Amino acid sequence: MKISINWISDYVDLSGIETDELVKRFNLSTAEIEGVEIKGQNVQDVVFGKVLSVENHPESNHLHILKVDVGSETLQIVCGAPNVREGMVTAVCKVGGSVVAGKIKAAKLAGVESQGMCCAETELGIGCDDDGIMDILEPVTIGQNIKEVWNIDDIVLEIDNKSLTNRPDLWGHYGLAREFAAIFDRPLKKMPLADLEKYNNLRKISIDIDTPNCYRYSAITAENITAKKSPRDMAIRLNYAGMRDINLLADLTNYVMLDLGLPMHAFDNNIVKGINVLESDGSIKMTTLEGEEHELPKGATLICDENKEPVAIAGIKGGLKSGISDDTTSVLFEAAVFDYANIRKTARKIKLITDASQRYEKSLDPELTQFALSRIIYLLGNIDAGARVTSSFSDCYKYKYPTIKIDLKPEFIGKIVGTEITKEYIIKTLNAFEFGIEDQGEKLIVTVPSFRATKDVSIKEDLVEEVARLYGYDNIVPQPLAFDTEPQNLIPSIEYEYDTKLMLAEKYAANEIHSYLWNYEDFNTQNKIATKAYVSLLDSSNAGQSGIRSELIPTLLRTLDENKNTYSDIRVFEIGRVVSGLDEENNCIENKKLAVLFASQNKREEELFIELKTAIVDIAKNIMGIDVSLVEGDTVQYLHPINSFRIVSRTDDYGYVGVLHPEVKKSIDKRFNVVAFEIDFEKLANTKAYARKIKSISKYQDVDVDYNILCDENLIYSDLQKILSKFKNKIVSGYSLVDIYQNKDLLGNKKSVTLRYNLSSFDHTLTGEEIEKFRADFVEFINKSGLEIRG
Amino acid sequence: MEINNINETEKCFDEDSSNIQNLEELENIRLKYLGKKGAITDIMAKFREVPVELKKEFGIKVNALKTKIENNIEQIKADLASKQIEREIKNTKMFDYSLPVDTKTGSLNPRTIIQKQVVDIFKNMGFVVEDGKEVETEYNNFESVNVPKNHPARDMQDTFWLNNGELLKTQTSAAQNRILRTYGPVCKVIFPGRVFRNEALDAKHENTFFQLEGVVVGKNVTIANLIYFEKAMLKSLFKKDIEVRLRPGFFPFTEPSYELDARCPFCGGRGCHTCGGSGWLELCPCGMIHPNVLKMAGIDPEEYNGFAFGLGFDRLVMIRTNLDDIRYLNSNNLKVMSQFKTKM
Repeated sequence: MKISINWISDYVDLSGIETDELVKRFNLSTAEIEGVEIKGQNVQDVVFGKVLSVENHPESNHLHILKVDVGSETLQIVCGAPNVREGMVTAVCKVGGSVVAGKIKAAKLAGVESQGMCCAETELGIGCDDDGIMDILEPVTIGQNIKEVWNIDDIVLEIDNKSLTNRPDLWGHYGLAREFAAIFDRPLKKMPLADLEKYNNLRKISIDIDTPNCYRYSAITAENITAKKSPRDMAIRLNYAGMRDINLLADLTNYVMLDLGLPMHAFDNNIVKGINVLESDGSIKMTTLEGEEHELPKGATLICDENKEPVAIAGIKGGLKSGISDDTTSVLFEAAVFDYANIRKTARKIKLITDASQRYEKSLDPELTQFALSRIIYLLGNIDAGARVTSSFSDCYKYKYPTIKIDLKPEFIGKIVGTEITKEYIIKTLNAFEFGIEDQGEKLIVTVPSFRATKDVSIKEDLVEEVARLYGYDNIVPQPLAFDTEPQNLIPSIEYEYDTKLMLAEKYAANEIHSYLWNYEDFNTQNKIATKAYVSLLDSSNAGQSGIRSELIPTLLRTLDENKNTYSDIRVFEIGRVVSGLDEENNCIENKKLAVLFASQNKREEELFIELKTAIVDIAKNIMGIDVSLVEGDTVQYLHPINSFRIVSRTDDYGYVGVLHPEVKKSIDKRFNVVAFEIDFEKLANTKAYARKIKSISKYQDVDVDYNILCDENLIYSDLQKILSKFKNKIVSGYSLVDIYQNKDLLGNKKSVTLRYNLSSFDHTLTGEEIEKFRADFVEFINKSGLEIRG
Repeated sequence: MEINNINETEKCFDEDSSNIQNLEELENIRLKYLGKKGAITDIMAKFREVPVELKKEFGIKVNALKTKIENNIEQIKADLASKQIEREIKNTKMFDYSLPVDTKTGSLNPRTIIQKQVVDIFKNMGFVVEDGKEVETEYNNFESVNVPKNHPARDMQDTFWLNNGELLKTQTSAAQNRILRTYGPVCKVIFPGRVFRNEALDAKHENTFFQLEGVVVGKNVTIANLIYFEKAMLKSLFKKDIEVRLRPGFFPFTEPSYELDARCPFCGGRGCHTCGGSGWLELCPCGMIHPNVLKMAGIDPEEYNGFAFGLGFDRLVMIRTNLDDIRYLNSNNLKVMSQFKTKM
């Protein structure tokens, strides 16, 4: 929202305060100022001039050569405006002067000398009319500088609307002036108003409210309005505040809105004579002032005339038929307050967010309607002396907010702020914001002014803010807490999350990615990846996708797809949340999962698979202290039916690992061999770790013996282990895998598995006989087991 | 005679050993003089023939010669070895030390790096670190943190609603109720997490981003405490004292509510690209926890109070890395994302 300091200065004297100081203090005490515009700075040496003659330019179709009287002299000016005419009074920028766009120099236009420029409103930055040069109808003195007559110099502050969300009172200049008055400790002037009581004897306008969403509707009528245009200064203010000047009556309603924050509306009183406020049944259509037809949804609040014909969408926009035009001479002014939620809902539904609806959404104070009508009648009377009020102040007040009184112990404020703040300071500050105060010694009874009582201020904590923001946060000395809490351990899934990520990045050269919470359905379908979504977004226009992911690997595959033409080796991982189902109450079951994908054009699938398995075991064992292994079992559709496995510990199943299904692989990029795993990270992290203890070692020399065991090439290692586990010998402390050798020519359908047996004893040095016995027993065992020992 | 023989042998040795080029030659010399059939042995064999009165002198001389030969040979051996090393060094080809290397390090998402730094800071200050869900109930996300029905935040435009009635949490505060119930009424907790807003994407706006929220609840907690904590945190984060200022803000879950600005650590407040010329960075929304929020978590607001604050990781990342488009953080563009490695 844009605010004019000239306008603010109508209500509080800000003289002697630098703009920087204004901005800084307002920022720290009230709301964020996003920008400062110095208006009129570039408008220099612009005077009123009278066009004495208009001649066609010999070299141009649209240019004219003017003789313009600027008081001290007559200038020759070449002008391209279509509306120029002899006798016209306009604004002339002399050579050496400047307009918004820059300095004006003497120049030749199409060969003819021009000694200045006739200006349009837009060129002076004071209006929106750029159809031609200014056509000044009001009496002015030719040659006088326009700045001596019009208030062009001003400072306009742009306030961040978001920071005013909870302050309906700050959507007009008067409320803002109240803040400035409090901040700079200067008196707030009263707003000049008309006394409406003198019209009490006039007829009442019939007003009926048949909806709970209209809290108060007030109106007054006037006739014999002959002035059509707003006074120039009023038009300039409207423009500086970001609106356009239209005609007097429309401008007046906008001006009062910008004064008080309460939107107003003007109906042609010849068309609208009485008011019915109704609720739409959903079947009604209306054309607004802009000529756009809107269907009015069920529940929308409508302003209807005495015949219950809709004439405005309450709090949002007036209707075309009943609107004022340049011919309107009698008017019905509306000042009303509607339910904030109702207006908000309707505005969103019909996609019509207006200056009015924005203000109503903030919960306006119904007390304002009387001020607004008093103000508009005052202004109208000042501008158009012939205008006559034709009704009494007519009012239908359905819902009055309760008066809020708050008990406040003065020391409470200092206790929350953390520094002592005196009772005198509290009273002075709250008074400046127009809170009523009854001092009962031990406590204050604070009455919240109606314009702050619609939802903004209701509890004593709200009063802390009112006092503290004026007291100044710079005056608070930072202090550590007076108490401390006990040290706490990290939750395992949080503690291990970073360790896991770091290990994957540093040891396995993988890149962490963060992907969206939704499935990429197109990608998945295109690449034959079936994945489920248990819930979906109701409105996915900004997400592009609607199904919430239940797995991570499909997104990793998409990442592979997006980067496949840049890299020949891709390793990515994500720790992220998924929705893996719904509980009995239909709420989402959420899991934190880890997925890792290795893809390479250079490595074989089996190599990649072993590297990936290493990573799984590494994370489980070396970060979390859990032994995991792979077992055969069902996994997911997009992994290889043979080479995909479950990841388990002795107690739990955590997920799966595997080679990409050939069909998916072919679809994404057949050059890449791809393996991936996905586990329930939280579950793994929460599995009880084994105790990490040092194994004692024998002080006697141990002996290693290697055997090459020949077995069927399809016998997997864990099955070989099962066989070997039956061999018992008390000097065997363990064995490990050294190598696996396969050679069709030499070994046929067999493979040679080299194992290293470690022999030792805790109580003596092994004797030759013991070792020989082991050898003999082992060879016998192997032969009996249907295996063979290779030379 | 025999004595002369000794002198002769010494002369021969001196001559022989004066120009030895390698270990092989040296070994030959050694054998010639010290070997079983060497000169010294020959001389010793003649000991018997030496007249008695000369035996002593003879013995001393032979032994002296033997010692000298042994020492010289050792010395020559050592000299040869160092000459050999010198030769080796001379013949060494210099490496191309300028070749690039590949550390084969992967990368973390920069948010992870920032999060780790920030979490460590709060752990040092005694905070519990918690985690939150991404799908939340309407109650947790709104009601329990005092966001009334009809509040704009509940609109379709701002919230991703799900077809089961739940929603994607719009703020980390959605976890406040659960956390206060778990740890309250005297606690210090932070809870980083991912939040979602139903809005259109551009270089400065994401619909999915990372925040951190912290709460401190206890007896007699003050705004002065809040400022203290924020300053301590920022000092740790930027590794220098940071001036802060509070501006009035508005959040339903705190009262009073503030926007905390930090004096731009990059330009010291003179105004730069990072702070948009204002000299201040808007970093932490914060405030004193609204009594309704405490009440809904079963904590008596007359006895306890506290403060809450937020911190946007994405913004911090952008400030720290010069990243000019927030969308990269959720993109899986490895060309950009792999630049970060594991530290920042």
